Amino acid sequence: MLVSDFVDHVTGWRIIADRVALDAANWPEGSQVVRISPDDAFVIGAARPTVPGDEFAVVTPEYGFSIATVIDVVALAEQHIEWSLPADRPALAQGQIAGVPAKLVLQADGSAQLLVASAARHELQERLS
Amino acid sequence: MSRVVYDGTPIEYREADTLAIAAVRNGIHPARGGTLCLAGDCGNCVAIVDGSAWVRTCQTAARPGMVVHRHPAGGHPSPGGPERHVQVQVRHRRAFHVVIGNGDSGSVAAEARRAGGDDVLVLDAADGNEVVGVFDGPTIVVRTRDGIEQIHAHHITLATGAAEVHPVCPGNMLEGIYTPKAAAALQAAGIDLGRRAVVGHDLVAIHGDVRVTAVERSDGSVTECDSVVADLGSAPRDLLARMAPLVPVTVVGPAAAAHALPPCPREGVVCPCGKITVEDLDGVWQKGFNELELVKRASLTGVGTCQGGVCMPHLRSFVADRSGTQPQPFTARPAARQLTLGEAAAGYHIDTFRRTPLHAEHEALGATLDKFGGWFRPWHYGDPVAEYWAVREAVSLGDVSTLGKMIVSGPDVVEALERLYPNHVHDIKFGRARYVINLTERGHIMDDGMILRDDEHRFTLTFTSGGASTAEMWVRDWIETWGLKVHVLDRTVSHGAINVTGPLAAELLRRAGVADEVRPKFLQHRRLDVAGVPCHVMRLSFTGEASFELHHQIDRSVELWQALVHLGQPLGIKPHGLQALFGLRCEKGHIIVGQDTELDTSPRRVNMDWAVKLEKPAFVGRDALIRTAKLPDERRLFGFTMEGPAPLEGSVIRAVGAAAGDVIGHVTSSWNSPLFGHAVLMGWQKRHLAADDRHADVVEIDGREARVSPMPFYDPEGARARI
Repeated sequence: MLVSDFVDHVTGWRIIADRVALDAANWPEGSQVVRISPDDAFVIGAARPTVPGDEFAVVTPEYGFSIATVIDVVALAEQHIEWSLPADRPALAQGQIAGVPAKLVLQADGSAQLLVASAARHELQERLS
Repeated sequence: MSRVVYDGTPIEYREADTLAIAAVRNGIHPARGGTLCLAGDCGNCVAIVDGSAWVRTCQTAARPGMVVHRHPAGGHPSPGGPERHVQVQVRHRRAFHVVIGNGDSGSVAAEARRAGGDDVLVLDAADGNEVVGVFDGPTIVVRTRDGIEQIHAHHITLATGAAEVHPVCPGNMLEGIYTPKAAAALQAAGIDLGRRAVVGHDLVAIHGDVRVTAVERSDGSVTECDSVVADLGSAPRDLLARMAPLVPVTVVGPAAAAHALPPCPREGVVCPCGKITVEDLDGVWQKGFNELELVKRASLTGVGTCQGGVCMPHLRSFVADRSGTQPQPFTARPAARQLTLGEAAAGYHIDTFRRTPLHAEHEALGATLDKFGGWFRPWHYGDPVAEYWAVREAVSLGDVSTLGKMIVSGPDVVEALERLYPNHVHDIKFGRARYVINLTERGHIMDDGMILRDDEHRFTLTFTSGGASTAEMWVRDWIETWGLKVHVLDRTVSHGAINVTGPLAAELLRRAGVADEVRPKFLQHRRLDVAGVPCHVMRLSFTGEASFELHHQIDRSVELWQALVHLGQPLGIKPHGLQALFGLRCEKGHIIVGQDTELDTSPRRVNMDWAVKLEKPAFVGRDALIRTAKLPDERRLFGFTMEGPAPLEGSVIRAVGAAAGDVIGHVTSSWNSPLFGHAVLMGWQKRHLAADDRHADVVEIDGREARVSPMPFYDPEGARARI
């Protein structure tokens, strides 16, 4: 088994804002921030974040992702990932995993989580099993 | 000794025998004739091994119980046979430097790289790593004993050596012909080749019926023999280097060395894979195919199993002789080794088809689910006509979670949308919505949807299910190009959407807690709780009836759907699938982009000029529309009605009258209308020159008369959507 069971519709917030504002944001205590792109952050956690530096920022609840814990990152990469994982930790790696667009959250302690759109979770789960 | 079964007969083999050597040991030619190299360079030993055709038996170790069938004489193996589902494992590996070939030159190259501090991976077929292709990336595809490996490398060194040249002369497809190394291998395996005739470029012909009996040399001498050893030199084994011209591959050793071409062949089989003769080459040459690549394409020399491993030097020599110029080798095509379909497909996946959050609800309701627009969607729930009537006469639910949805926000958002869309945006009031089409720079319709204004600087955009991804790129690309300050957030997979539609839709919302005074009117939208679920309620209509799209967080979809189904029971609620939806909208004359439009469909051709405001100073596609407006209108989308069953979508539309039978268009949408009792259609019609350059009013479809009919067929005043 490469990954744990998925949890659907993980609770979080999606923020689209200026890069500078996102860089300077203070995230709620206990939240986990997945920086999808310079202007796009997925903040896992229930508390609503604020982005003071951008009055036009889009801050909206995000339940569109499913998440799983990766049990064996090396095996997952060998069997299902064509691209190279980043060497640095922590890191966010994004691309197709088993042909499904997904994100790998690589933690500093060596652990990893797999994020995928809930709409494609069943397909990814089937391909990884 | 152990045994394998060859063409139904058990034969013995010795340990370390390949299947080809085992065959020769038992007096069998592995492929019924042709020179054997036993080095994997040709296709003269391919056979069906344990059900897999085109296997090089010289590269396959014999194992007890293997079943081998030679390919049919004079033909190829049938692709049929029992269906087998074999899951081939794929493994991705990364290596800084890969050396292909572990012979002398490969070993030297690997050592040199290691000495330079490189991480080196050496691949060799003898070690069970059969390289079948080199692709951009670079990616090296390797067949191993465990499956397929895709090795992602930074640098590749090719050290694959040289291949022995096969003879081309009359009789060169007889049994009993070997290259020197093959003969040595057979001798080392303890196989007696009988009387051997060793020949060089003085070889003129090989005599025999099935097996060689004699060789004839250029001096006229004829030597009787049991086997022929053709010592004709070698050619670079550089197929992998020629496979991916853009991949930097360093070729070393004999694979890189200059090798003299053999004399131009005069007679005999040049390409054993395709049994293509010198006479065949002359035929295509005389027809004007006077370059190596053209000779290859016209004669199919070099496109077979060995990808030029045998024929390349002879073909180059032939072209050099005829043209006076020695040509470079042709590009090689993957794969360097025959693959099973399972091996070729290993690690590749079909497109991902997404599921809406209501997938399980649809299954529980007995829906027939189909793949449509990148999603699994309910086609119907068992009775599409009943679903249709639920929409027309009561209330129905449709899962429209698949629609593209996007939030755009920023100080420049109005400017951006004005430039993106062909209609006005600035005058959309807060809480109002407008139907829009998206155009390419050529003025062709690429998608359609809605613009919904939330406030001064924030809008919600919707797109079609199948067009959502492209639309997102379209929006992002243009905004970035223009350098406007607009935030873009795609909500397609984060928001569910349920369409509540039918004359009792408002009543259902009332029962779900939406008071009349807050319920949006037509083309309004509002954020409301519906059955306790926060929703962005959009009042639109695709079915022709009153419709409320309830957009919501997908974690609440099931809860909302079940509540609406429960509350709607007294109203006769039924969910509807795509089949009913497509019929409903066809009656209403609403197009489906991609089905009713073509790649070059302008708004004018689908009678949607009203959605284009050319008085605007700029929008994507404007210049093209102005330019093409001056051109004749060659074809248009029309509505048709006809008696009898609705024709298949795609049916040909023909002219009647003087030009009867001329094809003038095709049907794009077709529906047996339960309401009207006849078929309603949409379809393209060209200008019919025989009818005074006008579009015809009467046409023929499926041998029956169809009449042009104004659209919409249903409720042309649009009153039903506004009740």
